[in-house]
Amino acid sequence: MSSLDQLKQTFFEECSEALLQIESGLADIREGGGSDDTINAVFRSVHSVKGGAGIFGFEDLVRFAHVFETVLDAMRSGKMSASQDSVDLLLTANDVLTDLIAMSQTGDAIPADYGSECRAAMEHLLGQDGAAENDGDEPAPADFEGLDFVPVRVDDVDAAPEGGGARSYRIVFRPGPELLKKANEPLFVLRELRALGKLVLVAEADNLPPLSDIEPDRPYIGWTGTLTTAADRAQIEDVFKFVADDCELEIVEEEAEQVPALPVEQDLAPPAEQTESATEPTPLPAATAPSITPPEPAAAQQPAANAEPATAARPAPTKAVATTMRVEVDKIDRVVNLVGELVIAQAMLGQVVFTLPEDVSGRLTQVIEEVSHHTRELKDSVMSMRAQPIGAVFQRMPRLVRELAAKTGKKVRLELHGETTEVDRSIIERLGDPLTHIIRNSIDHGIETPETRAAAGKNEEGTVRLSAEHRGGRIVVEVVDDGGGIDPERVLKKARDRGLVGPDAVLSEDEINNLIFAPGFSTAETVSDISGRGVGMDVVRRNIQDVGGRINVRSERGRGMTLQLALPLTLAVMDGMVIKVREQTYVVPMSAIVECLRPGEADIHNLMGARGMLQLRGTLVPVVHLCDLLGVGADAASTEERIVIIADAGDGSSFGIIVDELLGHQQVVVKSMEESYGAVPGVGGATILGNGRVALILDVEKLSDLAVNQASPLAASRITSTEPATTE
Amino acid sequence: MPNVATLKVLIVDDQNSVRQMTRMTLEQIGVRHIHEAENGNKAIDTASLQPLDLIISDYNMPEMDGLGLLRAVRGHPAARRVPFILVTGRGDRELVVKAAQAGANNYVVKPFTADILRQKIEQVIGKLS
Repeated sequence: MSSLDQLKQTFFEECSEALLQIESGLADIREGGGSDDTINAVFRSVHSVKGGAGIFGFEDLVRFAHVFETVLDAMRSGKMSASQDSVDLLLTANDVLTDLIAMSQTGDAIPADYGSECRAAMEHLLGQDGAAENDGDEPAPADFEGLDFVPVRVDDVDAAPEGGGARSYRIVFRPGPELLKKANEPLFVLRELRALGKLVLVAEADNLPPLSDIEPDRPYIGWTGTLTTAADRAQIEDVFKFVADDCELEIVEEEAEQVPALPVEQDLAPPAEQTESATEPTPLPAATAPSITPPEPAAAQQPAANAEPATAARPAPTKAVATTMRVEVDKIDRVVNLVGELVIAQAMLGQVVFTLPEDVSGRLTQVIEEVSHHTRELKDSVMSMRAQPIGAVFQRMPRLVRELAAKTGKKVRLELHGETTEVDRSIIERLGDPLTHIIRNSIDHGIETPETRAAAGKNEEGTVRLSAEHRGGRIVVEVVDDGGGIDPERVLKKARDRGLVGPDAVLSEDEINNLIFAPGFSTAETVSDISGRGVGMDVVRRNIQDVGGRINVRSERGRGMTLQLALPLTLAVMDGMVIKVREQTYVVPMSAIVECLRPGEADIHNLMGARGMLQLRGTLVPVVHLCDLLGVGADAASTEERIVIIADAGDGSSFGIIVDELLGHQQVVVKSMEESYGAVPGVGGATILGNGRVALILDVEKLSDLAVNQASPLAASRITSTEPATTE
Repeated sequence: MPNVATLKVLIVDDQNSVRQMTRMTLEQIGVRHIHEAENGNKAIDTASLQPLDLIISDYNMPEMDGLGLLRAVRGHPAARRVPFILVTGRGDRELVVKAAQAGANNYVVKPFTADILRQKIEQVIGKLS
């Protein structure tokens, strides 16, 4: 990639930030919440796009952005009112701008009349309000006639160090015997010194021995003299940085020979309102120039009061360092992968140490623990680099809600909460579509028309609440609406019509609600152009499951519904509990584990198949025998030795998994298997253990589903086949 | 005659892409010592840390705009004499007049070529060698 291409890339990244700013700013203004700052920020963003586009030669972009910006300018200067219609037009303009940027980025040819309608509408707006000043046609004149710019004379620039703030230093520099041997060259040092200002030096040749005695790699000459410079002491010392240890060095500030041309008092004078020539700038009041510090005591002896910028400016270097930098995602991903490899290698190392005799392994184990501590921190840091606030996704939604509300004739208010919650980039990227779909569904099917709502005694305006928060090692995103909720009868009827449910099946309300996730299910009486053709919720669920998340629906008839997405914090590395069942090793995600315990035999009540109930502190918790569930052999271990992992089933309830052994807790690198094997129920992925073997990572939530489904005849038949073994 | 190779220039712009483009343009002219600042406050910090020969600042920036920076520079004891070129994106005569009154030494309209920039710089500090 050429450097110009890279710059263009940077520019497009800036554009997408600017677009978000424009969008959210306009949305605020439309809601009546925008202040002057808001419209200024929107203006600035459009202006930045235009400026950059001009530099990189995207003419279409410049032309459009110019009109856009002119409207905004008229609006912020109060020449035009920010009516709802005009803000809507600006939102459309933002769409066109987005498209133009996208086309410029991909290099697609931009149709000649692209966005011309919107542009014409904006020009019309300008014309009608009489706000158009520049007849829309850039570019600005490169020079304005009659402007009196007094160029600063070159002498002024050169003289500047001598005038304002010049100080004199007496310099003594006598190279020591080692200086040349360390490959330093005094002449370079002097040359650098001279670059700082006016340097007058006298060489001291007193120590020069007779020619016969001269050692060639030993310096004999020293220098003394005066440096007049605007540079501060630190800068001078900097010149001697590499030789300071090998020489005799004195830097003494002398009293300035002349009073500075511009005494500080003058700077502090109240601002004059007059128009001066350019070279004699209007001074600022002291309050806006905080770096004019009160003279320090030392200044009393030194008339050159402003000769102390070294002290004043000392803390500044830390501030001058850039606080952010852009890094290509690829580069971060490479680090993530490397951290993954590191985690595996470290697990292997642990395994090796484990096999060593104890007297050898003791110290090693300590070291490995330290390494693993660092690895974990490294992982967390890298992951936090990939994390982005979920607001990036949320920001698209107000717009969507507005449009949908307008299309359906409903009144909807959107509430956003927790926009700053950070989520892994890879998840953010794949969250946009499902969320869009859910919100569409909420407005299309959930929120009622104002009349219906009024008749039901509700506020005419429906509310959709979109929130995100960290909860128990996961990110929970909720879409809550106060609409009509799911109509169980209608859903059940539809499901029966479509053959998704047998005619006689009896389903709980929860099961009925979950039918909306069934493939091919659509409750809309007529297919609308909003929620699409019933590809909706099953695709949404698959999308969420693809990123290792889960989705739940809760509905209350007439009161509204809640869709809850629980997403993993990250996809690449996670904490896992390594467990053993028969000869098989599996990994259970730590985030799903509530506790592990070894219950007494009497506490477990076996039901049919792989299921059972566990008496746990007075409540009954469903348990599954993992070996039966996965069909890896019968449960032969005596009950006392078995361990129950109490896991979170995802919907707030918990359930137990009976395993043979806990092998330990470690970080595992998640490798997806779906590309190779398709989705396997109950298996979330695979990982490589320390011994180099592959272990499957269990999807706990699905396991609980699996266990439930085993009550169905199909699954029961499989269990029958294993039953003889159980009775052994 | 100022030597272009020793010229110390500070570019101020909130947009990284624009800063880099300006840097490339300056490098074409032969400028070798280029500092960057992404906002007015950092520009002031940079200007108080080392002697500068020229500040080229965008007008359109959040928090402190180019005019604000210009006024702050002109009121700063160490930087008050540093020549200042304001970069504007629009044909805004009013703004240029304001800049002139506040002590700007010149202005340049975005986008600009190396020739135009060189010309503007030379108008301010004299023919470059």
